[in-house]
Amino acid sequence: MAAEKSFRNSSRARKVTLHNVILVAALFFIWEVTAKIIHSPFFPSFTEVVGATVRVMVVGDIEGYRLSDHAFASILRVLSGFGLACITGFPMGLLMGLKREIYDASKSIIEPVRFVPPIAWLPLAFLLLTGYLRYAMIIWLGAFFPILLNTIAGVRRTSITLINVAKVFGADKRSIMFKVVVPSALPETLAGMRIGLGVGWMCIVAAEMMGGDPVGLGRLITKYVELLRIDVSLAGILLIGLIGFLMNEAFMQIEKRLLKWRMEVKI
Amino acid sequence: MTGVNSSVIVDVNKVSKSYGNLEVLIDVTFKVSKTEFFVIVGPSGCGKTTLLKIIAGLETPSSGSVLINGNPPNPRFLNIGYVFQEDSLFPWRTVSGNVRFGLEVKGLTSEDKVKEVIDLVGLTGFEHYYPYQISGGMRKRAAIARALAVDPLLLLMDEPFGDLDAQTRWIMHKELWAIHERLRKTTLLVTHNVEEAIYLADRVAVLTKRPGIVKKIIPIELERPRNKLSRQFIEYRELIIELLREEVPGI
Repeated sequence: MAAEKSFRNSSRARKVTLHNVILVAALFFIWEVTAKIIHSPFFPSFTEVVGATVRVMVVGDIEGYRLSDHAFASILRVLSGFGLACITGFPMGLLMGLKREIYDASKSIIEPVRFVPPIAWLPLAFLLLTGYLRYAMIIWLGAFFPILLNTIAGVRRTSITLINVAKVFGADKRSIMFKVVVPSALPETLAGMRIGLGVGWMCIVAAEMMGGDPVGLGRLITKYVELLRIDVSLAGILLIGLIGFLMNEAFMQIEKRLLKWRMEVKI
Repeated sequence: MTGVNSSVIVDVNKVSKSYGNLEVLIDVTFKVSKTEFFVIVGPSGCGKTTLLKIIAGLETPSSGSVLINGNPPNPRFLNIGYVFQEDSLFPWRTVSGNVRFGLEVKGLTSEDKVKEVIDLVGLTGFEHYYPYQISGGMRKRAAIARALAVDPLLLLMDEPFGDLDAQTRWIMHKELWAIHERLRKTTLLVTHNVEEAIYLADRVAVLTKRPGIVKKIIPIELERPRNKLSRQFIEYRELIIELLREEVPGI
């Protein structure tokens, strides 16, 4: 039965992939044809964008940075800020989920701050911090709150019965925390992390556009828009979308693996 | 205290419990001796679950006392197995992971013991299944195995078969009795099912509707294994239902 189900799932997955490939190919084709008809330097065709991508990949941009330099710079910045958000948001979420009074007492700080778009902190971050840290701070601000709030919600949802099971066996607070509360909150926490990663990826592009550092996908886009070279800018935009998509897919695979005990992994 | 009756495992003495103005239990008194299968039967809302939680040390009585083997019920120091009314398996642990839980918490992990109790409840072959992959009856068996794995001094069961269908419930009665015959664990089970009580119990305590008071304790003097259709069985059933009827008009 299980084998049949996984077979059905994999054949369904193949079908979905096929549909998506067809749709993307159709989109690129329409783009190509439209660009050829319009024939404007501000509307590069798909093949021109692919050409620009290859050029930046192999030769580098006007300052000599290759596409991989830009991509890695952005990814590294996001992952460091995201990592910081995980190691701060998760324990704080556990604490605030278990001790409601701590959340209540700090609510008037958490709630308003979480509604400030991380980008709004950019000028301040650039004034106060240097290099890597300024980006990490922006990403941290974007990713921290989804992780914190989801973890709080997950902890609060922990079943009293399961906690009682542990108590009857004589479990101490530590065991209850790590053997019951943490695994029980994990689905929510992971969902919060995935959302946080997405927010972080969106923030990084904006931060790089304003940051002034010569590398980063955000910077690549502005660099070439200033030169009216839309083809390279579009190459950067496409790559941002592609990397965001791949990071999300990778995270979902991790989630699926960690949460294989769930009947359906709700994504 | 000690020496009066060394075979008394559970000594519930004038236990009362109220939440604010709501009186749940009044002066509940009974003793359960070693290896005894003691069943408390009572209508819904008579405080059965509260009583079990007090005995397990999960709640404290408003007045009165509970002694388990002469000690106050502190789960840190007492070895108690508890089978909860609701689904209580950890969904992120497999069957064997669940059974191992109590041993892990107590620092006694023993794979042999895990295997032994899984075998005892008939779940061999399902060790690596997650709770969502097995039936309700199998989840109950796993919960029983988990409670037995720590070799408890006392087994507490709170309406363990309440959410099972009639047929599975019947099978579980037989199996639970077989397990009890083999291990002779002192067992305290609460239920609202009269047949379940008579089939399993050495003695049945009838609890009244809220506030819960022990109305009568009836020793069940029937041969094992018991026949639910025998005349004496039905007489016991009539007797207990009569006692309950006074509490809940309209049964």
